[in-house]
Amino acid sequence: MGEIEEQDCIVVIDDDYAMRLSCRQTLSKSGYPVEVFEDGAQGLEGVARLKPALVLVDLKMPGLSGMEVIARIHEIDPNIVIVVITGYATIHTAVDAMKAGAYDFLPKPFKPDELRLIVRRGLERRRLHLESRQAEIERELLKRRFVTFVSHQLKSPLAAIHQYLDILKRLGDTEETRARQGEWLDRCLVRSRELQQIINDWLTLASVEGETFSRQRVEVDLNEVVSGILKAYEKTAEESGVSLHNELLGNAYLVRGDRNCLSVLFDNLIINAIKYNKPSGCVTVSGMEREGEVVIEIKDTGIGIPDKYREFLFDEFFRVKNGDPGKTAGTGLGLPICKRIVSELGGSIEVESTENIGSVFRVRLPAFSGDKEAREHSGEAE
Amino acid sequence: MASQIKILVIDDDVDFRESVKAILEAEGYIVLEAASGREGLEQLVEHRPHLIILDVMMETLEEGYGVNQAIKFQDAYADYRQVPIVMVSSIMETPFERYPRAEEVEMIRPDVYVTKPLDVPRFLEIVKKAVEKTKPS
Repeated sequence: MGEIEEQDCIVVIDDDYAMRLSCRQTLSKSGYPVEVFEDGAQGLEGVARLKPALVLVDLKMPGLSGMEVIARIHEIDPNIVIVVITGYATIHTAVDAMKAGAYDFLPKPFKPDELRLIVRRGLERRRLHLESRQAEIERELLKRRFVTFVSHQLKSPLAAIHQYLDILKRLGDTEETRARQGEWLDRCLVRSRELQQIINDWLTLASVEGETFSRQRVEVDLNEVVSGILKAYEKTAEESGVSLHNELLGNAYLVRGDRNCLSVLFDNLIINAIKYNKPSGCVTVSGMEREGEVVIEIKDTGIGIPDKYREFLFDEFFRVKNGDPGKTAGTGLGLPICKRIVSELGGSIEVESTENIGSVFRVRLPAFSGDKEAREHSGEAE
Repeated sequence: MASQIKILVIDDDVDFRESVKAILEAEGYIVLEAASGREGLEQLVEHRPHLIILDVMMETLEEGYGVNQAIKFQDAYADYRQVPIVMVSSIMETPFERYPRAEEVEMIRPDVYVTKPLDVPRFLEIVKKAVEKTKPS
């Protein structure tokens, strides 16, 4: 509570007794705590002590000039709003005062309502300013945490590789190290592949964000894209004992977009569905078109995603811990890439999942409506 | 002498645990492993190690600090408060940067903070010195 009062405190610095009195009366009546001072030196002491939100200062006073007071107030706290009161409301003095950092000026004589209005506006401006500063600080903090996180993700595999190489060199040729050598070298390869994949995904994400990657807008048949991807993963799926079903076959699902981009999107979703599946599980891709929208579903019969993780699923570097160290960890960038691509193309992505039963990723994209778009194009040409 | 000294390594990176284990076992230490903060605290109570090697960023950004704080301040771990903690992270950010207020640092300060990849000879020095106080006599 005290904070609000402190924030809204107003200081009046004026050598004219009548002026101090009337300002105090008017502002007190509006509910502001007010302190008045009769010269610059005392006023500055008051400002330093009270940390007011707003200061009304007379430009022409004996002793310290109003201009000097303005500068000193902002040395104390640059966020204090200063309104100058001047009996000689020439453009010059007003402009000088504003240059020195005053927010506005109030020419004498003024009505109580004018005073109230200018004070209210000044305080509002201060509030907005402080809010945007706060938002900026939060953004900065978020950015810093993100950088920390990215470097951690990049450094971890590198540190692991480094340490294996170090111990291989250091521990020498004992029977025990010989036995584990092969395993350690294999881990080095796994981790260096992981690192490469993170960098690749990171670059993909950056290029989608930079729109260089997703710029092209052509007619793309998703059946064609998905069929190609499923074919490419036939062997991988077979090795994991997962069967692949394409229910898009025989139909065209036309959207407008970038072919590469759409390939990356469905590639990520399909490989996830294979990777996070169970032995003898299956992956089914189905589709429909309705109300100008193409909806593609990628359904797996896998481990599912625990409820508590659902909201973080599309965050960069988020990975669900499934406690299975045998599986290769993803980069934590696949789904953020998907989300980014889908939103670049004006669509959306959502997930439904039941733990140990499986997940369904549903991608919605605006349908390519040949006639309409052709008309628009010819319209542009005219 | 070192054969009875137990060291608990808490890190979610299986390869870090594996390589630290190899380094420490070669020196004759007994190594216990935990893949998360929670598991680490369980192992602490169960095995009463003489030293803890603790990763900072595990499932969450500050998991290691949480473990450190729990051991130092929660009543449940009062018996283990004297177990020295060496914090490790691949990030060159010391606790002093993370907790800018001096009194906070004093409260959560780990006994030592080192970065990954480990400088092995220095790390072994740190370990040796840290277990001086707690090793079985």
